[in-house]
Order: sequence, then C-alpha cells, then structure tokens
Amino acid sequence: MSRRPHVRKQYWNEPEMGLWEKAYLPEILRGLWITGSIFLRNMGKWVTGRKGALTTYYPEETRWDYAQANRGKHVLTRRPDGTPQCVACNMCATVCPAKVIEIEAGFDPADAAHPKYPVRFEIDYSRCVFCGLCVEACPEDAIRMAKEVPNLPSGDRWSMWLAKEELLDWQPQSDVAKPYPPAPARVPDGERG
Amino acid sequence: MPRLTIDGREIEAKAGQTVMEAATEHGIFIPYFCWHPKLSVPGNCRICVVGVAEKDGGEWVEIACNMPVSEGMVVFTNSEKVRARRKATMQFITLNHPVDCGICDKAGECTLQDYHYEYNGERSVSVDAKVHATKHYALSNRIVLDNERCIQCTRCVRFTREISKSNGLGLVNRADHSLVRAAEDGSFANDAYSDNVIDICPVGALLSRSFLHKARVWYLEPTASVCPGCSRGCTVNLWHRRPEWRLKAPGMQAANASVDRVTPLENPAVNGPWICNKGRDLPKLLGRARAEVAMLKGKPADLPGAIAQARSLVAAARRPVAIVSSWGSNEELAAFKAAFGTRLEAFVKADHLPEPGEVVEDSLLIRADKNPNTAGATALFGDRAPAIPKDADLVLVWGEGLDFGLIPPAAKIVYLNAWLQPENGHADVFIPTSIQTERDGHYTNFAGVTSAFSKCFAKPAGVADAETLFPALAAAGGGAP
Repeated sequence: MSRRPHVRKQYWNEPEMGLWEKAYLPEILRGLWITGSIFLRNMGKWVTGRKGALTTYYPEETRWDYAQANRGKHVLTRRPDGTPQCVACNMCATVCPAKVIEIEAGFDPADAAHPKYPVRFEIDYSRCVFCGLCVEACPEDAIRMAKEVPNLPSGDRWSMWLAKEELLDWQPQSDVAKPYPPAPARVPDGERG
Repeated sequence: MPRLTIDGREIEAKAGQTVMEAATEHGIFIPYFCWHPKLSVPGNCRICVVGVAEKDGGEWVEIACNMPVSEGMVVFTNSEKVRARRKATMQFITLNHPVDCGICDKAGECTLQDYHYEYNGERSVSVDAKVHATKHYALSNRIVLDNERCIQCTRCVRFTREISKSNGLGLVNRADHSLVRAAEDGSFANDAYSDNVIDICPVGALLSRSFLHKARVWYLEPTASVCPGCSRGCTVNLWHRRPEWRLKAPGMQAANASVDRVTPLENPAVNGPWICNKGRDLPKLLGRARAEVAMLKGKPADLPGAIAQARSLVAAARRPVAIVSSWGSNEELAAFKAAFGTRLEAFVKADHLPEPGEVVEDSLLIRADKNPNTAGATALFGDRAPAIPKDADLVLVWGEGLDFGLIPPAAKIVYLNAWLQPENGHADVFIPTSIQTERDGHYTNFAGVTSAFSKCFAKPAGVADAETLFPALAAAGGGAP
C-alpha cells in the first residue's frame, strides 16, 4: 500500500485583512488607546486614593483566600507544656527532596519521655518546594503546614532561613482533622535501676 | 576435613569448626546477634538456627554458632521450619524492645532493625505491657546504656572478659529484668578499649556519649584512615558528612569539615576489629586550632613569599640541620629525602609523647611510641635522638613537639607546623602545613606494616602540602609549592 504524503490538518482560520488593517497605523493607535485609557483610569484612581486594578501590592498585601489544604508555611507544633513536639528524628530532613531542613539534636536525660529534642531546626525557604513530604514523614505530628505562605521577599538568600523560634509561633486551638494540643505521651510507669 | 552441604552447596570445612564459622568462611550468610568471630560462643540469641536433615527425611533445628560440623551433614539456612523458628525468635527478642528507632543513634546500621525487616516484618503479637527499664544509664563517662533496647546478647560483657580483660561489665538480675551493669570497682571506666562495645552492640543499647545525637548515620560516610595515636597504626574509618548532606545554614560550615566519629576498620594484620579509646578521641586531636597563615618572624606573610624566603635561607646556610616529623607520611618523607638528600643533617623527632593519665603501653594494641610513622622516618633518616650541633646556622623544624630552647640562638629557624601554637611566631619563617585528613598517604607501623590513609576534606587556602613543599624549598631556581 502506497503511503500518501502527510497533509497537515488546518485548525485555524486565515483572516483576510481589509484596507483598514493593511493601513497598519490606525489599528496600532486603537490598541494603544485601549491600554492607555485603562492605565490612565487606574492611575487616576490610585492618585485619588481609591484602589484601581486587581493588582496586589505584595508584600504589604497578601491573599486571604488560600484553600484549606494549601501547603504554605511550616509550623512546629508544641506539647501542652510549650516545648516543641519534635524529637529531632530527622525523618523530615531525610525525606525532603530539596534537602532544606537542618536539625541539630540535643539530649536531655531529665525528660524521660522525650530525651532527644531539637536545639536548632531551620528551613531554607529559598529552596523549599512546598511538597509536604516532611509533614507526611513526621512520626510525631510535630510539623504541619499552614495555608498561609511564608512571605519572605528578600534580595538575600541567607535571610530566607527560618529558625525554630519562628516556626513555633502557632498554637491553633481547634483543628477538626488533628486535635490540638495532642494527647500527652505515655510516660513509663516505673523506672527500675 | 569434613565435607558438608549447606543449602545444596557442598563445602569443605576445617575440623573443629562450627557450622557458623564454615558458612561465614564460604560466604554463606547466617544471621546472628550474640555470636562474634572474636568472642566465645554463648548461644543465647537463637537467631542463627539452621535446619539439619535427618536420615529418615525429616529436619531438626539447631543453632549454627555452637554446632560442630560433621561429615556428610546437610544444612538448610532457609527452610520453612527455619524461617518459622527465626520469626518466632525475632518476636521474642523484640518483645520488650521500645521501638524508638526515631531517636536511636543505631538506626540505619542496627542489626535488630535489619533482621526485623528480613525475618519478621510484623507488629508485635504480644498483648501484655512491655517491661520498662532504665533509659539512660551512664555506664561510664564515655558510654550511655539504654536497658530497654538491650537484648542481653552479652557481647559487651564477653568483650571485657576476653579481649580487654578489664572484667568491667556484667549482667545482673534474671530473665526480662536482666540489666548490663558496670562493675563497682570502676574497672570499666578505666578500660582503655571500652568504646569497642559500642560497635559490637547489635542494637542501640550502648551509645557513645560524645557522638550522641550528633548525626543520623546515613548523613555520614567513612573514609579509610590510619590512627596516628601510636606506632601501632590501627586502620580506622573516619566518619564525616556526606557531600549531599552538607549543612548549608549560615554559620554551620565548620561542621562539614569535622570528623564526627571514629570506628575501627577491620585489619587482621594490625588491629583486628578493635581500636582503643584514644583512637575514638581523634576528632579532638584533629579538631585543634589550625595555623592557616604563613609568618615571617611572627608577622603574617603570603605563602609564596614565605616559601621564597625559606628557600633562600636554606640555600645560604653553611651548616643546615633538619628535625623531621614522625607524623609525616612515607610519601612526604621520601619527598624530603629526594629534595634535600644529604644537604641537611636530619634527625627524627617524636612529635608526641605520652600524656599524663594515658595508658602508655599494653599487651593488646597500645604502644609506648605515640607517633604513627617513626618506623618510616627512621628507615630513611636513622634513629639518632635529635642533637642539634652548636654550630648549626639553620634549623628546619617539621612538625610540632620540639622544644625551641634546644636550638642554638644564632641559628635561623624554618618551621613547618599545622597547628596554632606559640612556637610558630618564634620562627624566622613559618609555613602552615596540611594535616592527615587533608591528603592521601601511608604510614609504616612499628612492625613494618604499611597502611594507607585517604583525604577527607580539602585543605584550607594558604596551607602547603609538605610533599610538594620540600621540592620547592630545595629548588635553587624556584618552583611552585
């Protein structure tokens, strides 16, 4: 069977330009009139103190209507006594595809139930991809993601690291999916020596 | 020479061997917790069960570590009966295990973890509450013990009885109330080999206090090296951050170029599977403050200028003397010999002497000479004690540990040292050098065994490698360092 030459299917129309379009300049001026008038209208509103176009003045203005499930800024949850829920197991740092989480662990033998705790917990938001794998990997429900984004506009990548103190400033009182504060961990009922 | 069959493979064992030894020698893996090739056989963990064929076609199970081989034996390591027995053993061993792998430093290199995935893989079938025990018991000021994680394999106890001979550990109480405890006379705290029990512990019960929670083990990679602590020259693994897990947060860069822990690198010719506690403390020795700027009479100078000045001093000297470091690698010592030949009268010095409180010498590993390459250096330069002639007009000192009071006041001093020390400023020319973790090389130990060490980190800018420095110092017309 002989192959017919491939004929490309035509999906688009072929507009015929009239004399007016072919004259070029009038249509260009009409386009400029449209954009210019919108610009001047917004400008006029802006100088008189009214809000013009749907432009958001970032970072002063941010969105309020993020979806409930939006993966935004990380939050470290706390135990009822205010200490971080995190046990510095490094599961989040290990699973992180961008390797942006750094945890330095400390040892506190006085706290029998939670001897390992994070001394340093830092996230580099200049490299974070907001995938949420850290939240899934956490065995202690110590890291969650709020729907609000971190809002770290900066000209310097080193100022986009957030430390433990900034990540801990979240204490929701009601969350249907995950009750907060979490149930206290069971302490061993008797220490033998 | 009994011949036996393991998993259908016919092997020839040595007379008197156990099935475990014969299988290990022929590359057949049988799991074990309490068995250790260098320790006695207690046969208490029961995970090494294997099946042995009976004449009538049946199969009975026995532990491989304590069963001598016999002619015509047919052994199965993975039959249905063996798998069922192993699974039951795993469930029994993990009965009271706290499963706190998330905060356990052993996680990632834990035998119990590996075997659980391999041979059990199921939740505990027990409905009873777990027996709780002491979580953090300071066995000594070097080692912390977690009794809940302990599986009472007694490897640590047998190590202190059979290898280090301190008899420092024992098991107290019975059954699931058993606890490993240190002897009350404090012999475990004085055991110079105590940290080996951390390595031989198959679970996370015995952990190093200096390494505690410093890093998850998968963040680290080992580099083969040689312990410079004494002339035994034990081969060791230096564990440091993997390149992909380097810390990037501001102010954390120094941690990427530090040795986090030291473990033995098994070497039958030198140290077997053990090293002493001084070897474990190498990060302290290697983490001392470094000299990174060349100096002319105590004033900072650039490295090429300092090398040029040192070269002109060497060229102008009439009676030059060199004090050679016993911490130099064989390559560096050979470069020194090739560069200067007999131009300099060379003496080998002991860079380090035994410190107060240190074990000077014992019958297991520790040697009295606290320098790694005295044998390599004396082979090239003789073993005369450093005696600087009164008429010497130039002394080239290589390495730390020389009393500058021994140098005639009129003599010029060219000093090569890696560490930040007060002597550096007294030299006419001071050139900072690289350390063992920043270059490749070999040391020859007291018995003539040569072991290689490899580079872990890049050397700091402004620091010279002795191997390339010596030709540059000797070259009459110049030469790049």
